[in-house]
Amino acid sequence: MSLLDEVTRIKQEALEQIGKADSAERLAEIQVKYLGRKGAITAVLKGLKDLSLDEKKTVGAAANKTKAALEQQIKDAIEAFSAAGEKTGFDPTLPGTRSRVGAIHIVNQVIDDICQIFHGMGFTIARGPDVETDYYNFEALNFAPDHPARDMQDTMFVEGDRLLRTHTTPVQARTLEKQQPPIKIITPGLCFRNEAISSRAHVAFHQVDGFLVDEGVTMADLKGALVAFCKAFFGEKLKLKFRPSFFPFTEPSAEVDISCFLCNGKGCQVCKQSGWLEILGCGMIHPNVLEKAEIDSEKYTGYAFGIGVERPAMLKYRINDIRLFFNNDIRFLRQFG
Amino acid sequence: MDLSYKWLKELTGVDWPVEEMGERLTLSGTACEYIRAADAHMDRVVVGEVTDVQPVEGASKIKLATVNLGKTKMDVICGAPNVDVGQTVPVALEGARLAGDMVIKKVKIRGIESSAMICSERELGISDDHSGIMVLEDDARVGVPLAEQLDYNDYIMTFELTPNRADSMSAIGIARDLAALASTKVIKPATDLKESSQKADSKIKVRIEDPVGCPRYAARIIRNVKIGPSPWWMKKKLLMSGVRPISNIVDITNLVMLETGHPLHAFDLERFGSDEVVVRRAADKEKFVTLDGAEHTLSSQVLLITNGKTGVAAGGIMGGLDSEVESSTTDILLEAAYFDPVVIRRGRKELGMVTESSMRFEKGADPNGIPYAINRAASLMQQLCGGEVLAGIVDCYPEEIKPKQISLRPARCNYVLGVHLSEERMKEVLTGLEFRVSGKGTLETEVPTFRPDITREIDLIEEIARIDGYDKIPDATANIGPLFTPIHFEDKFRSDVRRLLTGCGFDEMVNHGLTDSHLAALLNPDLSQVKILNPVSADLDIMRNTLVQTTLNVISHNIAHRNVDLCLFELGKAYQPGNGEDDWCEYQKLSLAVSGNTPHTWRDKPRSYDFSDLAGALSLLGEHFGWGRLNFEPQSNRYFEREISFAIMCGNIMVGIVGKMNRKIAAEFEIKQDVYLAELDLNPLIAISGRLTEYQPLPVYPAAPRDLAVVVDDHVRAGELVETVKEAGGEMAESVEIFDLYRGKQIAAGKKSVAISINYRSKTGNLTAAQVDERQAAVVNKLKEKFKAQIRDK
Repeated sequence: MSLLDEVTRIKQEALEQIGKADSAERLAEIQVKYLGRKGAITAVLKGLKDLSLDEKKTVGAAANKTKAALEQQIKDAIEAFSAAGEKTGFDPTLPGTRSRVGAIHIVNQVIDDICQIFHGMGFTIARGPDVETDYYNFEALNFAPDHPARDMQDTMFVEGDRLLRTHTTPVQARTLEKQQPPIKIITPGLCFRNEAISSRAHVAFHQVDGFLVDEGVTMADLKGALVAFCKAFFGEKLKLKFRPSFFPFTEPSAEVDISCFLCNGKGCQVCKQSGWLEILGCGMIHPNVLEKAEIDSEKYTGYAFGIGVERPAMLKYRINDIRLFFNNDIRFLRQFG
Repeated sequence: MDLSYKWLKELTGVDWPVEEMGERLTLSGTACEYIRAADAHMDRVVVGEVTDVQPVEGASKIKLATVNLGKTKMDVICGAPNVDVGQTVPVALEGARLAGDMVIKKVKIRGIESSAMICSERELGISDDHSGIMVLEDDARVGVPLAEQLDYNDYIMTFELTPNRADSMSAIGIARDLAALASTKVIKPATDLKESSQKADSKIKVRIEDPVGCPRYAARIIRNVKIGPSPWWMKKKLLMSGVRPISNIVDITNLVMLETGHPLHAFDLERFGSDEVVVRRAADKEKFVTLDGAEHTLSSQVLLITNGKTGVAAGGIMGGLDSEVESSTTDILLEAAYFDPVVIRRGRKELGMVTESSMRFEKGADPNGIPYAINRAASLMQQLCGGEVLAGIVDCYPEEIKPKQISLRPARCNYVLGVHLSEERMKEVLTGLEFRVSGKGTLETEVPTFRPDITREIDLIEEIARIDGYDKIPDATANIGPLFTPIHFEDKFRSDVRRLLTGCGFDEMVNHGLTDSHLAALLNPDLSQVKILNPVSADLDIMRNTLVQTTLNVISHNIAHRNVDLCLFELGKAYQPGNGEDDWCEYQKLSLAVSGNTPHTWRDKPRSYDFSDLAGALSLLGEHFGWGRLNFEPQSNRYFEREISFAIMCGNIMVGIVGKMNRKIAAEFEIKQDVYLAELDLNPLIAISGRLTEYQPLPVYPAAPRDLAVVVDDHVRAGELVETVKEAGGEMAESVEIFDLYRGKQIAAGKKSVAISINYRSKTGNLTAAQVDERQAAVVNKLKEKFKAQIRDK
């Protein structure tokens, strides 16, 4: 074998070993083995003095070229190891730099979600006062003069012949008085009841009421709208149950149960094993209510519904104490940021 | 209301399984909330006969009873005072699980082994009576399972009734809906009775002095009754509805009330005190003792049944003590009356009591159901108490209450419901509910008087919908009503405020506005308050007149829970009473507060939140909504520290306040750390918000930035410096920013160094260095002249 072939063989062998090397330490060994003082290439170079001038030129050039190539290869390979390696000064595990974004209150998030779904169906938001008159809170809504809700036990009254509204439905009465059909309104807001504060009940809560008055509005339209809403809000696979109920301002009235979204109707602790959750009240607007607002109850019909905010939020997010909503403890608020 | 499942089956012949019956009633408006097996605690409980009772040595309270269980005999330790030889009793055997999760096990008491127990009614889940063991009827069959003996292989159905349905507060009422659902008819219990030749009106007369409160009063006389216990079948119905059996006469009035929904009352005729019933309003301060022994001082709100002289019953609410049926009673005056719901409601509120009777009259009993109810009770008194029923009902009914007539247009029914029901089906449903229907095309409907809730056509439509089933109404798949509805600017405004403020780290609060009047007065002694007349607690007795108060409450709550670093805001209302009819004031407000320190990270050291954090948030809102510059004008305010207390001015309109909370006031809220707070009035700000942004062409020529550091007196305000630079720099000074502020060693005391960066640019061409230098010199001169500013070398 000529020395030239020997250089080629050494180069191939060295490259092969560099390729297989699994650490920077191994590469250092390879460097010593081929390029060190007693290395293979060094030996070739040392042997040049015994060769002819021609051979010196060709073999010398080949050996030097190989030496430079191997040096570069080993250097690159060592760098590759340290680039992927563990111990440089750069630490990607330090927490990223960011500014803290605050949390929108969960009650307002839920209200926004509800209103957005109904806005998509053509409802627009209306608001009214929290300190209401008996007329709008009860009388205009067809409550009998002696209805128990008008008791001090149930309603908080305010000096000056006012009360704290017990639902957001008074906005319906106010809107019907001001506007002619078609009217399609959603009314989010605060409501109050004279109730002792506990983990399950509060003196204040939020409600979103909605109603539509137009020609030809039927109970089928009410059902369709609420089915669409409940599926959008709680989940597509939901089932609904409409049960007859009673509210002074709707006739026929219904209570809507949805199949429990936590257990898919199989029965769990939250739905008390029934598979169903009571979620909202609704009905066809009572003709007495339309007539009080001087709307022709023969020509126009309408539907109305009311959804609590805290209760579905408690179900959805497994919140077990209604007081948390009004405590505004930032550890609570930020969970929904 | 609780009812026996078997009772409903008995009244209708409907034999649906209990679950199905409950579900179908629920889906037709009579919500069956709960079903429980009546014999849940009767497994391994059998009928035994006590054949011997022996004392236990050394124990005075327990005895050893021997019970015959038919095939076996057994010794049982018994602690009840009433155990006696010859009784038939319920015996719980080993393994029985009684009410309250008591499991019967073998025990040894005073050396005697006992593996069974004689039970009280409470232990069997029959009633809450635990005074002694339950003693069964004499003819109870020894060895038979107790549930079979008592007919307790039954269910108790608990119904949650809607307030409008007076008619469903009875077994027949619920059975009526059930029959309509099953297309069958209610089987009404018999009222067979044999009247004696003597006429009832020879014994009693009735006079109504208040026909508004009492439109009808009917009475019957039953003589020579024998007071005693009721038969088991009657006790069972009462017990399953949660009514305690007392004696046959009282039980009959209660049973008929549960059955028909019509409350009745039985007086002891001898003790009634006269031969005339007079119904009138009570006199003011008239005294009356109800049969529970309580003495009441009445007013004219209470309807009083009298014997012409003194009261014998608070009409429709509770009978009187003096004419109560006793064990020695022989002659009965049986009352069945109809009282006005509103009068009953006011009366029972006056008396401070709610009874089974008042609940039914308050919702509305059936004035025309009286003959059936009184005859039903009289016939039972004849059958079960051996009474002699005098001839005729003494019935005072000055003005008959007639059934209402309502027309139903079938097309209207389908129009409102969105269905296609036939006229026939509508007729069928209404007649099923005992409405009389005639006519074609338009159904002329006579509403039975037990349905006071039905007043117009829409109510009939609901009856049809609920019996036919809400599930038969299709869910519309198309949207109706207006398709285009706006998002009001006010709503966009709120959502933008939320987005911007949470974006810069503020958490949103929601408060209900109820708060403490004393703290409110401390904050704003002169601001009027919306006072709650019946607050739930003393610290929630007004609606807030400023958001500052509730914001401080929230800060206080958080600090108490060691959340000390706070950036908070709220969009809410402040309330004030008005003067006139419509002059009630609810003001939209925005509150902002910071307290504690900024977040501490590995890169950024924390600093205290301060005024500039609020100023920054405000300027962000101002820029977004196009309010122009907000100026802070010094204005004293009792809840801010004197030197950091400002009015927020937008042009010359005051739109809010901002400052550092006064320490003493903060201490009243138990806050010790610094709090910076702002409150904005949103109404004027919303009015000027939402200006359309006009596009400004991007600059064509390069800018020439210059920095400048000036040393000025400490009292010179940065705002004044910036304004002056802008003025002197003219149009060429495109932007002027403060980028450093320094007080300290290198500067004389009472002075500060302010570094200002000015960006010069022309819209018409490149600026030369000479042009910029010239303008910069003008700026410097102006600052020197106006503020005696010294230019600091870099």
